[in-house]
Parts: sequence; structure tokens; C-alpha cells
Amino acid sequence: MKLAFACLVFGLALLPAVATPFFVNFVMTQTLILGLAAATIVFLAKYGGMISLAQLLMVGIAGFMYGNAALDGGARGLNLGWHPWAAAGFAILVTTLVAFVLGAIASRSTGIYFLMLTLVYGVIGYFVFAQIVEISGPGGITSIQRPELLGPPVLLYYAGLLLSVAAYAGFRALGRTAFGLALQGVRDDPVRMASLGFNVPLHRALAFALAGFVAGLAGLLNVWWNGQIDPASISIGPTLILLIIAVIGGISSLKGAWLGAFVYVLVLTYLRDLPLVDRIGLTEARFNTVIGVIVLMIMVLSPEGLTGIVHKIRKQFGETRP
Amino acid sequence: MRRSKVLTLFMALALTAGCGGGGNASSGLPADQKQPASSGSSTGNGIRLGILGQCEGPFGGFHEDVVAGTTLALARFAGASPSSKTSALEGFSGAKVAGTPIELVGIGCGDDTADRIVQEVRRLVEQLGANVIIGPLSGDEGIAIAEYAKAHPDLTVLAGISGSQEQTLHVRAPNYFRFYGDGAIWNAGLGDLLHNKEGWETVAVIADDYSFGHTSAAGFIADFCAVGGKVTHRVFPPLGTTDYSSYIAQLPNPDEVDGYFWAVGGTGTQAALEAFVNGKGDLTGKQHAGNLFFNPDLAQALGTDIAGAYVGGFATLPSDVRTPEIEEYLAAADKTWESIPGALSGNKPAKPSVAAAFGFFYGYYTAGVALAEALEAVGGDITDVPAFHKAIAGLTLDLPYGDIKLDANRSGIVDVGLSRLVNESGKVVQQTVAIVPGVDQTFGGTFSPDTPSPGRDSPACAKRDLPWAGKAITVVNGVPQR
Repeated sequence: MKLAFACLVFGLALLPAVATPFFVNFVMTQTLILGLAAATIVFLAKYGGMISLAQLLMVGIAGFMYGNAALDGGARGLNLGWHPWAAAGFAILVTTLVAFVLGAIASRSTGIYFLMLTLVYGVIGYFVFAQIVEISGPGGITSIQRPELLGPPVLLYYAGLLLSVAAYAGFRALGRTAFGLALQGVRDDPVRMASLGFNVPLHRALAFALAGFVAGLAGLLNVWWNGQIDPASISIGPTLILLIIAVIGGISSLKGAWLGAFVYVLVLTYLRDLPLVDRIGLTEARFNTVIGVIVLMIMVLSPEGLTGIVHKIRKQFGETRP
Repeated sequence: MRRSKVLTLFMALALTAGCGGGGNASSGLPADQKQPASSGSSTGNGIRLGILGQCEGPFGGFHEDVVAGTTLALARFAGASPSSKTSALEGFSGAKVAGTPIELVGIGCGDDTADRIVQEVRRLVEQLGANVIIGPLSGDEGIAIAEYAKAHPDLTVLAGISGSQEQTLHVRAPNYFRFYGDGAIWNAGLGDLLHNKEGWETVAVIADDYSFGHTSAAGFIADFCAVGGKVTHRVFPPLGTTDYSSYIAQLPNPDEVDGYFWAVGGTGTQAALEAFVNGKGDLTGKQHAGNLFFNPDLAQALGTDIAGAYVGGFATLPSDVRTPEIEEYLAAADKTWESIPGALSGNKPAKPSVAAAFGFFYGYYTAGVALAEALEAVGGDITDVPAFHKAIAGLTLDLPYGDIKLDANRSGIVDVGLSRLVNESGKVVQQTVAIVPGVDQTFGGTFSPDTPSPGRDSPACAKRDLPWAGKAITVVNGVPQR
């Protein structure tokens, strides 16, 4: 298992040598960024039993904070003109703090109420940035440059890969620590955990803050990759897309987050290039319908997403093996 | 063991897709990949054209119109033949100017957000190898694409119909050209007319809360204040609002102000005016003015009371002005296709001239003409990209709705047609009243690269001299009185 993981990482590290620049710098970099953000949804769902719709807001907060802090002398944002890495640190700090506060507020709700509360966070966050134009533009923050260290796009791909590997390994390792085990206890039976003396709301808030921290890293990569962010980037549509990515991959599988992101980006980018698909009405304008149908099929066939389907297939093979 | 298979499958998928992901050979590891290998004109394969439209979002209905606009220009001036007689989205073939072929490599599908359009342009340029882009359609998209152009100096972008001011005035990418006006330009002369002819002293402004709405309002405010008018209120509902009642409540009552200026676009125009009737009482047409979405169709919902309202310009002149050039242009559209399912006919097949007479089609048409004429100017040689860009910047296009040349920031200096909704025996029609010649986006110094972007509070209301004040050419019965 570890060997296969190492092989995969090795393969991805070699990818720029064999694939086209567009595939590496556009498709795979976007996959890694979306996967990293979606992995925070999976982490909260898998270890904390919390399905959050506020993760894209964290991505957005980090992006806006970086843009405001790093830009110098333009018509948009606060133009603080800080050093890029200071701006990056500031963005992550603000995002993590906001995540902790929002997590603390939501920490006493569970299930559908938690989902609704985080949806409210997402919507409020969108309107905060849409209405307070001093920190969001007006009309978005553009011309965002990445730090010189990450100048060539392929290095951004490697940064995405490094952070993705670190997040995947980190989340898995965390699940085996005392905090991770307590968090899973909170997920399974919060009342019993409370009676055992665990501070249930604090565990939830800390998990939410950690997810916010990782989503903030994805947010930084995203503005470095995209060069701009505007309130529409974190509106309700993209918020749901991130959840859909997690669902496609399998909401209880960490690696599914990246798998879901990969499928999403592939469909977005290449579906329209397939021969004859436009003859059956599958133009790029109907992309959202296609994604919707894929999600529907996955929900029906395998509630555990693509990773669930892979597990089933493998099980079949395993059982028929002599 | 089990997991290993999953991971291996994932890896295999990634690798397979990567190898099949595009046709460009590349070493891959390139710290050099700020520029994609295939972009720029250095390939020598002629023009690889990408068109950026919008197939989703508030202007999704105009996808067919905008692609048709560019196609018509290339059909007229580059010998292109459309692949279908009933849709422009099927592409075209055979386009060639001065021996240089123009190949359509792809049509980008925006949804009115900057994020999406950047992804679409990256697909066109970095995957499909486009070296010339025509588009985008909408305000925020224009700023994002201008920034993208600035970062890719070998690319050539001819804007489609995106009307925000900043894409040229602030971003100033040397390879981004706009052969039409911005949202502010289209309202030039309207304030002068309302203040000096209709006697408006005070006005309340209501406009969409995004870059095009801000730019539209900025043009009207600059013009109205320059001649001595006062703006009492500025209200900005978000784009896509359906219930405007709370925004109407922020406006003064009809007896507190001389008039209202509306730059609420798309489906919002009618909804906002209906909310006005509910909140403030009946409309009096002559107390209102608006921009391009203020058209005779509003009478269907609001009745003939809307007659009397003044309307700013858009890329084309209102249909009551007909010159031989305009007739020829519209006839060429009808000759190129049997029908086009454009937005003005509700995306049902209609005569192509219906779409061609409207600004969205026309903006993309001007870009296509600019491409053909620039190629002619450099003798089809696009290997010297700076020379090609210089040739584009120096063009003066002889276009059906008036000549257009570019200013120092490569944005169009255009003639603006102002019109009025009038009641002709029970039917509301649009009548051109004046043409304001030679409007540029600086408004006589009101706007410059150093002034803040048009926004909720900018520009301030200040009196100043405008180059075109008092120089409007009156139009009587569709004939300019030059």
C-alpha cells in the first residue's frame, strides 16, 4: 500500500516529463488544488462527522487576503504591498482564525443543522466580499502574482503535489493520534465522549480550524494559479461544485477528493473534444447537466463515490479468485 | 494490496490522459513554460483564432450572435464560408487574407465570471494553440482577459463587446485592442441633452453593481455633471436581482428629483421599472433615461407611458437610421446564412440581419474586420508580432455604423447615437435624436489611468469642459443633419 502510494507520487512527479504543458499546468494543477480543498470536506466528514459547505469560503478568504496584502498600488483592494511570503502567512493566519471562530460557533450543531449553518457561512461570506468592495475589488482582485520562487507554472504543479501529499499523509496520521481518535469518538457518540470528560465543542472547532488552514493553502495555490479572485469565485455555485467533487470521489475517502477533482476537471476540459458528443447534444453549455448526471449515477450506484465503485470491482475480483 | 490497485489505476489514468491530452510535443519540464510552446505567432501557420463567447450565464443567449459577428466579418473580408447555413457555432473554413490562412481553433464558453473566462482562454491558447483571440463579451471578463493578454505578450486579443472601462484605461495591455466604446462612452451626450434641452437639474442614478454598470453610470454622471447637473442619489442593485423593491425605496420620489437614469441591464430593466411603478406610482416617460436595455419592448409590460424616455447609445445606431453602408452590411448577413438563432429572436431561427443590427453581434464583427484589415496591412506576415500589433493600433476602420479608430490605450473612439422612445399612434418606437461624434473614454480628462475605477462613489460629480458638449449632430427622421 505504501509502495503503491510512493509509486503514484513518483509517477505524478515525473508527469511533467511526459505530458503536455497544458495537461500539467492546467488540468493537473487545477486537479491538485481542487482536490486539496475537497480533501478538507472529506476530512471533516470522515473523522468529525461534519459535512461542511464553508470550505470554499476558506479558499476564498485566503485568496482575498493574499491579494489585498501582496498587491501594491493598483485600483483594487487594500494594496498593502507586503512581501509575497508575508502576505501568504497573513492569508493563512486570517483564514485559520476565521475558521476557528466559525467552527466554534457551529460546534454545538450536528448533521443537517451543521450543513445548513456552514451553507449560511458560505452565503454570508459571499455577500461580505460582494458588498465590502474595499477588500474585494471592486469587481474582484486581479493581477495577483505568485512569489518568484514559484514563477514557472510547473513549480506551482509541484507545490500542489507537495501540499496534497502532505495533507493526505497528515490527515491520515492525525486520525491515529489522540486528538484524531477523540475526534472520531465525538463523531460516533458525542454524548458519551462528553460524559467521559472530552470537550466536544473544542474538538470540533479545532478540527474545523485545521480544515480551514488546509483549505487556506489551497486558496493560496488557487490565486497563484488563476491570477485573480472575485466574489463570484466563492458564490453558491462553486461552493456546491466543491461538495460535488467530494461526493464524486467518495465523501468518506480522502484520496477520493483528488479522484473526484480529476474527474471533474477532465469532464470540464475534455468532454467537448470527444468526437460526436455534440451530435447528441452534449455541448459545453450543458456541462453542468453532465456533471449532475454523473453525480446522480454515482449516488445511485455507489454512495461511496468512485472509490466505492473501485472497491466493489476489486471485491468481485477478489471473490472470484481461486 | 487492494488500495495499491486503486492507486495504480489512478496513476495509469493520469498518465494515459496526459499523453493523449493534446497534440503539442513538449519536453515538459520546462521552467520555460510561462509561454506555451504553441502560442504566439512564431509557429508560422497563420492565424489560429479562438473566439470567447458566453454559452451560460445572463448573456448566454448571445453565444450564437457573437460568433456570427466575427464569422460575418471574415466571410466579407477574408473569404470564409460558414460550415452551416443555420448556425455560426459550426465554424467556418477557407478564410485567408493576403495569403495567410485564418483557422478557427475553438469557441470558448464563458458564464459571465472572470474565473471561467480565464479557464476558457487558457484552454484556447495553451491547449488548442490559438494566437489570436476575439472576445470576451462582458465587463468583468474583459478585465481578466486584458490581464491575461498582458502576461502573454505574443498573443493578440481583439475585444468582443466587453464594456468595462478598466480593461483598456487601467490595464493597458499593448496587445489588447477594443474597436468599440466602453459603457461610459455609450452614455456620452445624454447628460448634456437632458440638462440643456430637457431642463433636468437633478437626477437619481440606479445601475447594476458590477464593472459594466459602474462604467455606464460613470459615463452618464460625468456627462450630466460636466454641464452643471447634480446627482442626488446613486443606487446599485446586484446583477441578477429579481425583486428591486428595496432598491426602488432608496430612490427619491418623482417630485423630489427631475429625473432618473437607469443602467439596469438584461431582464433587470423591466423588473426594476415595474418595481418603480409599484413603489413610486405611474411612470412619466420624460422623467426617465436609460441605456441599451431601455427599448420599445418595455412598452409591452409597462404601457405607452414609457414613451418620452431618452436612451443612450450602444455599438450600433437605432434601426431608424439607415445608410447604404448599413443596408449593405445587413444584406451581407442575410446572404451569409439562411437563419441565425440569435438572442433577439429568443434563440429561435430568424433572419441574420435581426442579430446583426444589435451591438453584441456588431462588436464581434468590428473585431473580425480589424483582424482582416490588420493582416492586409502587414501583408499577411505575422512573424513580427510587435509590427502586427502596431498595424492593428494604427487602423481606422470604415464600418457601417461609423468609422472607428483607437486611442492611445487601444480603445475605440466612436460616434454615439442617442435616441428617444416615442409614441407613434399607440406604438412605442425608438427614434434617433442625435449623434455625438468622436467620443473617447477619457471624457476630456475625467477618466485617466490614475483616476479610480468607476465604482459606487466614483466619479465625483464635477463641472468641467467636455470636448463634445454642444457638438451633437441632430437627427431628424433618421437623417443626420450634418
